[in-house]
Amino acid sequence: MSVIELEGVVKRYQSGEEVIEALKGVDFHADRGEMVTVIGPSGSGKSTMLNMIGLLDTPTEGTVRLDGRDVTNFTEDELTEERRSTIGFVFQAFHLLPMLTATENVELPSMWDTKRDRHDRAVDLLQRVGLGDRLSHTPSQLSGGQQQRVAIARALINEPEILLADEPTGNLDQDTGRTILEELTRLKEEENIAIVAVTHDEQFVEYTDRVVRLVDGEVQS
Amino acid sequence: MSITSALWRFPSVQMAWRNLGRNRIRTALATLGIVIGVVAIASLGIAGVALQQQATANLGTLADEVTVTAGEDSTTEGVTEEQVEEIRGLAGDAAVVPKKSNRTTLTSRDGQEARVSVTALTEASALYDVSAGDNPDRLQSGALLTNSTATQLGFELGDPVEYDGRLYRIRGLIESQSGFGGGGNELVLPLSALAEQQYYDSVTIVAADGQEAQRIADAIEARVNEDDEEVLSVTSFASVQENIDSFLNTLNLALLGIGSISLVVASVAILNVMLMSTIERRGEIGVLRAVGIRRGEVLRMILAEAAFLGVIGGVVGAAVSFAVGLVVFQVLAGDPTLVFGWESIRYLLIGFGFAVFASVLSGLYPAWKAANDPPVEALRG
Repeated sequence: MSVIELEGVVKRYQSGEEVIEALKGVDFHADRGEMVTVIGPSGSGKSTMLNMIGLLDTPTEGTVRLDGRDVTNFTEDELTEERRSTIGFVFQAFHLLPMLTATENVELPSMWDTKRDRHDRAVDLLQRVGLGDRLSHTPSQLSGGQQQRVAIARALINEPEILLADEPTGNLDQDTGRTILEELTRLKEEENIAIVAVTHDEQFVEYTDRVVRLVDGEVQS
Repeated sequence: MSITSALWRFPSVQMAWRNLGRNRIRTALATLGIVIGVVAIASLGIAGVALQQQATANLGTLADEVTVTAGEDSTTEGVTEEQVEEIRGLAGDAAVVPKKSNRTTLTSRDGQEARVSVTALTEASALYDVSAGDNPDRLQSGALLTNSTATQLGFELGDPVEYDGRLYRIRGLIESQSGFGGGGNELVLPLSALAEQQYYDSVTIVAADGQEAQRIADAIEARVNEDDEEVLSVTSFASVQENIDSFLNTLNLALLGIGSISLVVASVAILNVMLMSTIERRGEIGVLRAVGIRRGEVLRMILAEAAFLGVIGGVVGAAVSFAVGLVVFQVLAGDPTLVFGWESIRYLLIGFGFAVFASVLSGLYPAWKAANDPPVEALRG
């Protein structure tokens, strides 16, 4: 069973007078232990699709299934709970909080969860991405590649089933981007998660189990 | 780091504290606004209390007293024995002291002279405080003399003074009465000293407090004086004190009003700062929401930031106001420790409370706005 599934997803935006159809009936699925790359030109609807998969936005038409459960009509608060427990995010611009240390940034998604102490897992994850000696550094003391590793550790803190990466190598040079991809591939197996990455970066293709090409809001087969 | 580790158990508070630390100058300036507001409210309030206490102290016990003299329409040259009995009937537990008065000149052994007013009465202890000697409840013989007069003329306790051809032994030395009308040299004698005077010149009623004095004054007025006739003239300072009190209360409210305006201005500044900082951090808050931080948690975090500004500003403002209070009481009352009284400490708490309340109120809108921003929009920037 797929961890995440989109079925006939349509998303329309009202932009001034005209209605823009960003997704025109997209079918998509991702399974555990699989890395799927969504490639497409700007404006193809990649980000909109990632927002659907990440439960950040709801479709105009169609169905979103998480672990086989229909979550299409969940309220914002229910979606927040699902994101917290099931989905990890990695962004192009890292989006670490500047006033927190690396460890604290990793703990952030579980910070309000006072019942469980995630400190040990945070340290463990940072060690696994090679930042065992940078635990107390703040983001400004880390390089871009190191910041993205912290972001990956943050995405994994709540033991998600899916990791979503939006242009994870976009702000990094090619060599650093390659190490990040290697890191993701390794973690995908260690944690047995589905990784869905959105990118322009053709470098991804060699690390990916499956490529989905999105053009003009439709999946090209 | 001890503060941050103590706050670790309250994630919203912990995050708020860190966030405020990111832009210290902005935090300091927003707090300064609150400090000024608290100082305005608390110091003006304390100044009002100091004024009020000072006015009451100056008025002294006069406010508790009612003085009755013969009125314009009296058929006698003073207050009669029957009228005194009537007054006693109306006064309840209050001491009623009928007095006769005169003036005389006292001469010391070495020929120094002093003009004194002579008061003849029985219930001496109800009206006078003695600094030396005894203070008889019923003055039947002997005399009381103001301390300053005794010093001036070289009289001591036990010395005789002469009035109207008779000698009276000085039993006690009294202080000049405080307040208006009192003061000056005074010789207090038994009523028998002015026995040839048929009527009393005045009757003083000493009530427990100003309200009681006012009630007695009204009762006498109603009983004795009909229509426009003024058989007895009734003077009470209670109404004077009431007027002063109500004036000072008005003044106090006006001062607090002015103080509150500065706190309103400060809370608008907080609103502005919080709004700016949440707009600046829009993407960051979007990330928080994306990784599963709940709306209520974001709301609490930003409210905690606003509350921190209020608490810090309130504490600093209360401390500054306390210092201002010390100075105000030193200047007005000569005793800075009076600032510890509940009347003035109250204003420190009020100032602090208002600061926290105003800050949290100002934080509500920015917090609500940040928490309800759809994460997709927020992430886009």
